[in-house]
Amino acid sequence: MSSSELMIHISDVHKRFGRVHALRGVSLDVQKGEVLVIVGPSGSGKSTLLRCINRLEEYETGKIVVDGIHLDSAENINAVRREVGMVFQSFNLFAHLTVLDNLILSQRVVRKRSRNEAKDIAMSLLKKVGIPEKTNAYPSQISGGQQQRVAIARALAMNPKIMLFDEPTSALDPEMIKEVLDVMLTLAKEGMTMVVVSHEMGFARAAARNVIFMDEGQIIEEAPPEELFTSPRHERTKLFLSKVLSL
Amino acid sequence: MFTRRKPEIAEQELARIPGAENYSRIDVWWWLVALVVGVVILLSVISPDPYWRIILFVRDGLGITVFLTVVAFVFILILGMLGGLGRLSKNWFVHGIATLYVELVRGVPLLVQLIWWYFAFPVVIQQIGKWLHISILANYQSNAIVLAIFGLVFCYGAYMSEIYRAGIQSIPKGQMEAARSLGMSYVQAMRHIILPQAIRVILPPVGNEFISLLKDSSLVSVVAVADMTRRGREFMSTHFNPIEVWTMIALLYLVLTLFSARIVSWLERKTEFER
Ligand SMILES: Nc1ncnc2c1ncn2[C@@H]1O[C@H](COP(=O)(O)OP(=O)(O)O)[C@@H](O)[C@H]1O
Ligand SMILES: [Mg+2]
Repeated sequence: MSSSELMIHISDVHKRFGRVHALRGVSLDVQKGEVLVIVGPSGSGKSTLLRCINRLEEYETGKIVVDGIHLDSAENINAVRREVGMVFQSFNLFAHLTVLDNLILSQRVVRKRSRNEAKDIAMSLLKKVGIPEKTNAYPSQISGGQQQRVAIARALAMNPKIMLFDEPTSALDPEMIKEVLDVMLTLAKEGMTMVVVSHEMGFARAAARNVIFMDEGQIIEEAPPEELFTSPRHERTKLFLSKVLSL
Repeated sequence: MFTRRKPEIAEQELARIPGAENYSRIDVWWWLVALVVGVVILLSVISPDPYWRIILFVRDGLGITVFLTVVAFVFILILGMLGGLGRLSKNWFVHGIATLYVELVRGVPLLVQLIWWYFAFPVVIQQIGKWLHISILANYQSNAIVLAIFGLVFCYGAYMSEIYRAGIQSIPKGQMEAARSLGMSYVQAMRHIILPQAIRVILPPVGNEFISLLKDSSLVSVVAVADMTRRGREFMSTHFNPIEVWTMIALLYLVLTLFSARIVSWLERKTEFER
C-alpha cells in the first residue's frame, strides 16, 4: 500500500490529564476510504484519541500525521481542522443560528465562500441528509436525530477528507438512531474516510473494514468486525463484548 | 408541561404563566415611568417657583450626567469584554493581569477611586514628566470630565469583566469545540458563536450595571464635574430650599433610571431567540 493512501498515521501517542494517563502509546493507521470503528468501555480514551486527531486535545509525545500534514505548528492545526470534520455525541449545533445558517456560517468564515454559493451547498447537503424542509428552524425546534443529521451536513459543507464521529447516536432515542446511521452508511459507501466511536455493531459490520477495541488508554486488539465480535482473541475484549451484547 | 396537568390546576396556574406575567408587569412599570414624569410636570406647573427654576438650573447638569453615563458605558463594555476574555485566557500572564485588575479594583470604593484619579493621577503624570523631561507630561493639566469618565470606566470595567466571564462560561463548551473543529480560529469562534450567545445571557446584568452607573455617576460631583447632583448643590447654596431641590433631583434621577430599566427590558425581549 503506497503511503499516499495513508490518511491518518498515529504512532505511540501519549496523553495525560494531570494524573490520568488517558492514552498510553496508541498507534494506528487509517487508509483512504477506510471506515474504522472504535469500541471500548467508558473512560478508555476513545474520545481523547479522536480529539487528538484534530487537535481539540493536545498530546504530549508521539506523532500524528493527517493527510501528510504533521500536527505540530498552529498553522498545520488549522489546515488539519479544515480537512477533518467532526460529529459529536451532543450534536453541538450553534444554538443561536437556524439550521441553514449553521451550515452557511463556517463556509463563509473559514472557506470564504459567497453567501449564495454557501447556501447552494448547504441546501444540497440538507437534501442529502434528508432535511430539506426545516432550514429555518432553530436547533432546539427539531428532533435529536434531525439535529445530528444537520451536524453531519454542517461538517460535510467544509469538504472534509476525513470524518470523525464520537458516539453520534448514543444521545438519541432508539427510533432516531437508524436515520443517522443511514446517513453515515451512505457516506461510507461514497468512500469517505471515517473514524467512528460507536457501539452500533450493525453499522460496524456493514461499513467498517476494521474494529479497534480500546481499554485503559491502549488498543487491545484490531480485527475485521465479524472476527472481533464473534471470536475476540483477548480476555478483556470478550468481557467487554459480553457486557455490551447483553444490554 | 400543561398537557400533563389536570385542567382545573392549569386554570389556577394560568395567572402565573411566565409570558402573561411579563406582559402585565411591563405595562405596570411603564405606568410608573409615566407617573413620575407626571409628578415632575405637575410640580413645575403648580409651582414653577422653585420647581421649574430648579429644572432650568440643573438642565445642563442633567445633560452631563447622561453624557458621562453613556460615554463611560461604551468604554466599560469594551474594557469589560477584554477583562472577561483575559480572565478566561489560558496564557498565565494575561490571566494574571486581568485577575489582578478585577480583584484590586473591586476592593476600593468607587468614591475613593474617583478622588484618586482626579487629585493623585495628574500629579503622578507630572512627576513622571519631570523625571523623564517630557514637557507634555510635566505640564499635564487635568480635565475633570475626562478623569471622571476614566475613573468610572476603570471601576465598572472590573465588575463588567466578571459579568462577561460568567456569560461566556455559561455557553456550553461544545459550542466552541464545534466551531474550532470546523476550522474557525479562537477569535472567529468568539465573535460568531460564543459572544452572540453570551450577549443574551449577560444583557440583564449589563442593564443593571447601566442603571447603577447612572446613579453612581452622581459621585463625580465631588471631583469638580458639574453633573446634575453638583448643580443641585449649587442651586441649594444660593436658594436655601433643600426639600424642593433634592426632591426634584431625586425625581429626575428616577425618571432616568426607570426609563432605562424599560429600555433594557425591551432589549431583552428583542434579543430573545427561539429555544
Ligand atoms: N478534559 C479532561 N480533563 C481531565 N480528565 C479527562 C478529560 N477528558 C477526559 N479525561 C479522562 O481521560 C480518560 C479518557 O476519557 P475519554 O477519552 O473521554 O474516554 P471515552 O471516550 O473512552 O469514554 C478518562 O479517565 C477521563 O476521565
Ligand atoms: Mg467518549
